[in-house]
This record gives sequence, C-alpha cells and structure tokens, in this order.
Amino acid sequence: MTVLLLLPALLLMGLVFVWPMLRYGWLSFHADSVLTGLNPVANGGANWIRLLDDQRFWQDTLQTTRFAGVSVGLEMVLALAIALLLDQRWRGRGVVRALALLPWALPTTMMALGWRWIFNTPYGPLERLAEVVGLGPLNLLSTPASTWLVTVLADVWKTTPFIALLLLAGLQTIPEDLYSAFRLEGGRPNQALMSITLPLLMPYVLIALLFRGAQAFGVFDLIQVLTGGGPAGSTESVALYAYLNAMRFLDFGYSATVMLAGFLLLTLAVLVLAMLLRLGGLIRPVQS
Amino acid sequence: MVFRRRFIAFGLGLVLLMGVVWGRQQQVQSVTILMPAPYADATAALVDRFNDDHLGRIHLNISRGPLETESISDLAISSLLLGSPPFDALLVDVTWLPKYVAAGWLEPLDPWFDQADEDDLVAGARLGNRVDGALYRWPLGADVGLLYWRTDLMPSPPTTPDQLTAVVSKLKQEGRASQGFVWQGRQYEGLSCDFVELLQAFGGSWISATTGEPNLDSPAAKQTATWMNELISNGFSPRAVTNYAESESLQAFKAGDAALMRNWPYAWSELQGNDSAVKGRVGVTTMVALPGETPAATLGSWGLSMLRETPHPSATAEAIRYLTSQDAQRERFLNQGYTPTAQALFRDPELVQRSPVLPQLEKALGHAVPRPMSPLYAQMSDVLQRQLSGILTGDLDPGEGMAQAQASTITLFRSAGGKA
Amino acid sequence: MNRRFVPWISLLLLWSLLPMLWQLISSLSTAEALVDGSIPFLKRWTLVHYQELWASDPPFWRYLLNSAVVSGLTTLITLVLAIPAAYGLARLPQQLRQLLRWITAGAALFPYVLLFLALLELARRFSLGNNLIALAMPYAGLAMPLALLLLTSAFEGLPRELEDAARLEGLSLWQRLRWVLVPLLAPATASTAILVFLFAWNEYPIALTWLSRDDLLTLPVAMARIAGSSIYSIPYGAYAAATVLGSIPLLLLVLICQRQIVSGLTNGAIKG
Repeated sequence: MTVLLLLPALLLMGLVFVWPMLRYGWLSFHADSVLTGLNPVANGGANWIRLLDDQRFWQDTLQTTRFAGVSVGLEMVLALAIALLLDQRWRGRGVVRALALLPWALPTTMMALGWRWIFNTPYGPLERLAEVVGLGPLNLLSTPASTWLVTVLADVWKTTPFIALLLLAGLQTIPEDLYSAFRLEGGRPNQALMSITLPLLMPYVLIALLFRGAQAFGVFDLIQVLTGGGPAGSTESVALYAYLNAMRFLDFGYSATVMLAGFLLLTLAVLVLAMLLRLGGLIRPVQS
Repeated sequence: MVFRRRFIAFGLGLVLLMGVVWGRQQQVQSVTILMPAPYADATAALVDRFNDDHLGRIHLNISRGPLETESISDLAISSLLLGSPPFDALLVDVTWLPKYVAAGWLEPLDPWFDQADEDDLVAGARLGNRVDGALYRWPLGADVGLLYWRTDLMPSPPTTPDQLTAVVSKLKQEGRASQGFVWQGRQYEGLSCDFVELLQAFGGSWISATTGEPNLDSPAAKQTATWMNELISNGFSPRAVTNYAESESLQAFKAGDAALMRNWPYAWSELQGNDSAVKGRVGVTTMVALPGETPAATLGSWGLSMLRETPHPSATAEAIRYLTSQDAQRERFLNQGYTPTAQALFRDPELVQRSPVLPQLEKALGHAVPRPMSPLYAQMSDVLQRQLSGILTGDLDPGEGMAQAQASTITLFRSAGGKA
Repeated sequence: MNRRFVPWISLLLLWSLLPMLWQLISSLSTAEALVDGSIPFLKRWTLVHYQELWASDPPFWRYLLNSAVVSGLTTLITLVLAIPAAYGLARLPQQLRQLLRWITAGAALFPYVLLFLALLELARRFSLGNNLIALAMPYAGLAMPLALLLLTSAFEGLPRELEDAARLEGLSLWQRLRWVLVPLLAPATASTAILVFLFAWNEYPIALTWLSRDDLLTLPVAMARIAGSSIYSIPYGAYAAATVLGSIPLLLLVLICQRQIVSGLTNGAIKG
C-alpha cells in the first residue's frame, strides 16, 4: 500500500533524473549530429577520444571549478557574517531578513541584465564613478581577467542570502546556555565564536558547501546572459559548452558526452571531498 | 411575385458577392521573414511597398531578431528544433547554410530562380548558395575581405607578402605608420576569415577540394601560420593585433596609425567620415598573394532561405525576389551602404559616384573564397582559431599548432558522424 | 544593543538592495540621461520605458501570466504527488527511509541544467514543446526532491497517536490524510508550495529549450531574449523597466510569505 503512495512521485523523479544520465551514457557512444540527421549512429568511443583532446572542454572545466570555488568560498564568509548579524536580537530583524532574502528570489537571467548595465563601459554607474574618482575606463566586462570576477560577484550577490538562512538555522540550534557558561568562565566574545559557534556550525557549513558547490559547478543562466561565455570564452562554463554543442552546433552526441563527463567529474569531486571530510573527523557518521 | 423574384436575385447576388470577398480574404497569404533588426529596419520602406503592391494577396512582415549574428541563428534553431517555426524564411549567413540544409530545414529555391537570375549576380554572390547542387539561398548582400592601403604613404598597394612586409618596414623606419599592417587576430571567427584569405594566397586550402579531408597540416598551411606569426614577432603588426576585431583595426587605421588594414567593405564609408584622419587617402584592393597564386577574398554574405515547412512557398519566393531585386539593392546601398549583388549595379554611374571603390569591390568579389561549406564549420573554425591564437600569442610553434589543428579536425569529424 | 548594529545592518541592506534600486532608477531615466550624467536632475525622468513595455508585442504581462500558469500547475502537481509519497516515506522502516533520504538529497544537489538535452529529446519526440501545461511535468519532477524532503520531515513530526486515533475511528487512509494529517501539515505545505512555486518561476534551461514561441515564454526566458536582442544599442532603460516589472510579483511574494520561506528552508536544512 505504501509503495502505491510512493510510486508516482518516485517514477516522475526517476524519469527526470535517472533517465537522462542513462540516455547520455548511451548517446555518448553514438554520433548524433546534424551530419547523421540528428539520429544516433554508433561510433564507438570517438566522442570520448575527442573529449580527452578537447582543449575547450578542459579549459571550461578549470574555469568552472575556479568560479565555483571562489564563489562558494566568498559566499560562506559573507553568509556567516550575515547569519551572525541576523542571529542577534534587534528591532526590525524580521523585515531586514526579508529584504536580505530578495536577491535570492529573483530569476538569475533578470538580474544578469542589470549587472551588464551596472558594469557597462562607458555608461554604467561604476564606470562613471571611476571617471569621477579619476580611475579611467575600467572595461570590467571586456577583459578576461576581470570578467570572471564580475560573474563571481553576481553569483555571490544572488545566493548568499540562501546560505545565510541555512547558517542562521544552524546558529539558532546552539543553546544559549553554552554561551552563558562560556562567559561565566571568563571567555571573550570572539573566542566564543571560535570555540563554540564555528565547531557547532560545522555540519551546516559543510552541507551548504556541498550543496552550493555542486550547484555552482552547473552554472549556466548567469553566464549565458551576462557574458555569453566571453570574452574569448574565458567565462564559459561546462554547462554552457554542452548547451552550445547541442543548440548551436547541433551535435547532440557530443553534448551528451560533455554533460556526462561534467557530471562524473562533479560526482568524483563531491565523493573525494566527502571522504576527506569524513577522514578529518569533520563529518560524523550519520545517526538518525 | 415580381418582388419575390427580385428579392431572390438580390439575395443570390449578395451571397455571390460575399463568396467572392470571402474567397479573396482566404487568399491573403501571410509571409513572415526573420532578420536581424538592422536589416529589418533597412527594408522597412520596401516591405510597405510590397504590401501595397500585393494588397489582398500577400502580406509580408519582417520579424525583427537580435542584432548579433549567432543570436539570430540560436533563435531560429530553437524554433526549428521544436517544429513549426513562426516564420517562412530567414536571413542566413553563409557559414550556417550547410548546417541548416543538413538538418533538413530548408526548401530548395530552384523552382523560382533560374540560371538567368544567377548570371545576373556578381561572381562572388553566386558562391555559398548551393549545397549538393541544389539552390538553398538567394543572396541579399555580398561582402568580401579587402586590403585597405594608404594612398599617401605608398604609390601602389603591395601584391605579394614580401612586398607587404617591405613597405611596412620602410614606413616604420621612416616613423610614418607605427602600427604597420593591422588585421583581426583575436580568437574569434574574424581570425578564421583572415586566415582563409592568406591560406589561399599561399596555395593551400582548408578542406581538400578533391577528397573532402582537412588539409591543415599541409606545407602551405604551415607557411601561412608562420607568416602570420612573423608579422607580429618581426613587428610588422603590433602585438595588440592579437586582440583586434574589426572595430579595433578600423580604429587604428582611421586614426592614421596604420599603413595597411584588412577589413570588410563597410569600413570604407567609415573612413570617409569627417572624424577620419585618413579621409580621401584610402585605396582598396585584394589581399596579397604569392607570385603565381591568385589573391583571395573571404566571402561573408547574407541571403534569404525558405523553410521547408512554409505553407506558402510561392508567396515566400515572391517576397524573396522582391527584397533582393535590383531596385531594393540600389536603395539599400544608397541609404545604408549594403553591398549590392547584381553585376549591373556595380557599373551603375550613380552608385559608383557614391562609392568610387565599387569597381575594386567587384574585382575582389571575382576572387571570393567561401569558408568550408560543412555543417560542422562552426566547430572546425573553433579548433582552428584556438591553435592560431596559440601560435600568434607566441606560445605555440606554427608547425605543431597546425598539425594539432589537423588532428583535432579529424577527431571532430569522426565524433560527429563521418566525413564533411 | 540596537545602535551597535546599525552600520552593519545598513551595509547589508545596501548590498542587497542597491542593484535593484539602480534598476528602478534606470527604468525611470530618459535614454539621454542614461548616457549623459550632466543633464539637470529635473529633466532626467520619464515613464516612456514602461509604456514601451506595455505596448510591445507580446505585451510584458503575458510573460508574467505564462510564468504564473506554469508555476501554479507545477506546484499543484508536485503537492498532489509529494504529499502521499511523503506520508509513505515517513512510514517506512528506518534503514530504507535513510537511504531514500540520501538519494533524494543527492537529487536536490544535482545541477539540473545537465538534464536539458534528454528532456529536449523527449519534447521533440512527443511534441511537448511550446506547451505550458506539458512544461509543468518535468518541473514537478525537478521540484520533487525538495518537496519530499520538506514534507517527509513534516510528517515525521506529527504525533503518531493522532493518526492511530483516527484509524481506530474507522477512517480510511484517504480520509485520514484529507481530514487529519494534511490540515496539520498546513504550515509545511505552505512553505513547500511557495518554494516549489519560486523554483518553477525562476527555472531557465528547460524553459529555454522547451519554449520558442514569443507569446509562450516564461519570464526568465523572455528576459534573456530581451537581453540577447540588443535591438537598440544602449536601451538599458527598457531592460531596466522590464527588470522592475518582472521583479514586482516575486518581491511581493517574498515579502508577504517570508516567514514560510524561511521556515521551509531552515527545516530543510536541519532535517536534511
């Protein structure tokens, strides 16, 4: 009986999550491009051989990893600060919390336009500010070195509230008595942070890290609209490359290969990270 | 009695009239064409005239699409992949045509355009419209790569690579053109265009005409890459050229800092503007070539293609013909500077007076060279750009780079389903 | 206590709201004012961008409507499937439940953009493209892990006795759910509903590949298309106006329902 209750939901989930991976696995051993009339034709491991040699793929993987790493790192620090602030008791806390949540609620593609304008040379507000101060044209969106940082900024702005909420939830599970006892024993506030707050918050931090890291690796919306992968492919993410292969180059077989490879690399990274953290004793085995 | 008969007659007459009107209404065929917004704007007046001329029979509207080349294609593809696109024809860039044809999305235009029509076109405009012998695109404008030269700095333009480097080096010694020869060296499609001209000039080809296999590791290809690299390493072109697109190279030439520039025909009118430091001192010719090789000009052109699924093929063909007629071309040239495709217009006194370079443009069009007509062209170009960019920015040996480009191209074909 | 935090609170608010405020300002500025900082203050303002949006083809509110339809349908389908499933999950033996929880959490982690190709193939094969109702199906599937996580822990939080009492009174499973359990779950259901709605509203890659018709686009896809269009070279006024109009429904939703959103997210975090 219970099974019947579960079945529709699980079936739908299976269709949406499991089927694609199986399909990609199969497709990656076939040529399915405009040359084959968009029909799969077996080609052995040709897609995989091409992938290994594909400079663009590996460059994108590195870029995406760099983006995810820096972005999530910054988000953690910022979110912790915000969570600590919101954990204190002051008037209007609820309103501020709601307002701080707004960036997260907006669709990424929508604010991506906004960011393009804010960083626009020569008319955007930042550029004009720089002029006034005498810094000269910043050209932040035309040089590879700075453009990826702009994408990081946009990503941090959007997702920090979400992580801040997660960490806030964690903070609120720490009993007040621990702090009182600490203070009674003569401990100072910043020491409290290091000895009580952070250690007890660790599980939440790690969950957030894992969650956000995986999501950041799949970044697509932001990059496609904000930079289109440019300049000169310097901000292109693995997901965007896969998308271009399918929708622009009409090469479904290779697109599937790219996505499967990306997924496998991500899974590997997550597993390795989880194992390292387990060994470091930072994750205790799950008890229920 | 009489009254009733008259009433019936009147009633029948009314029904007949309504039938005719209704029939007429049913016959208004609606044709929609997707174009980038600038082209759409350039044809607005024309479209109105067409609709007036064909009132009650055909109604044409232009769907204004994104400004950027790739975005138009992305938009079209997203509709075509899902089936039932909301337009009957679209403006197609020469490099996408094979892809669209291979996907089975286009309808051949042979029933409506014959040999006589094609003979009216200037030589370059006849290229890039046929795939496997069938006509899939009718050109709207034809552009080719040109070599711009400063008439005040040299008596005549160079015609061989050695002459080019000689004149640049002489001018640099005299301190008269600090940037020398500017071209498009950034890692993007423009780099492939520049490469194609020089490759032909050195006697090579990207894809072998006989076997259909890539030819990027031929001696000619390696020589081309080496020459391009030496332009920079020997100072004939500024190092910054590795980040130049069309607008940067135009800027340098326009400011008077360069003696030679490779660019498209649009640059000419920019250079005659009042803010140009070289107004009236610019000439145009074809790119240099080795003695014994014919000079080449990379073909870049837009044309109208009909979609297979259109419910009104004849009406669409008529719209296409109208939009590409000689009158339409004349108007577009005079108002917006778009290059015509009809041979006759290149000799037209009014047009030549407006733009004295038309004869050279026609000559260059005679040497037009299309980029490889392969459905996989975009990926091929990406592979080439990557290697070339690596070579030009100094890291990569030209011979190795081209060998790598060749290997990657072969891997690409194998992965995507066989030969070009 | 309060004053110590004021600078930090102001910083937080500035950081969160300034970009959006800038959009608002830009949307109300004339095209000239956008590029020329020297125009006197009083001459810089106009409503023309909003008028353009309203009169465009298709009108801007169409996109909001499309998003609302898809999101609403997704939320409905998700809840209808997830509530019974969560009930079932909460009644499973410990080991199995834990395993399924890990699997569901893993699915929630998944960057779902990677699914677009397989889903596109399905859309092509079964002609599901350009159909707002069909789009709700993959959306419901994607939102399912989140819904399951939240609702299962909510069910687990309900005292067993209530249900046992209801069962003793002879109520069938369906009746127990309908009259006893689900009403008790109202807060969790509300949170789940809002989070699923938000997810569906903001989803981009699947909508991008499943929708091509102008008048069927959801908001994120429409915004991206406007961005890519660059039909004008510096028309950020129109873009900004689109951003403002597009944000309003979401901002209202968040401000009104913020408590549910927060509790949903935090419950998910703690139990998950």
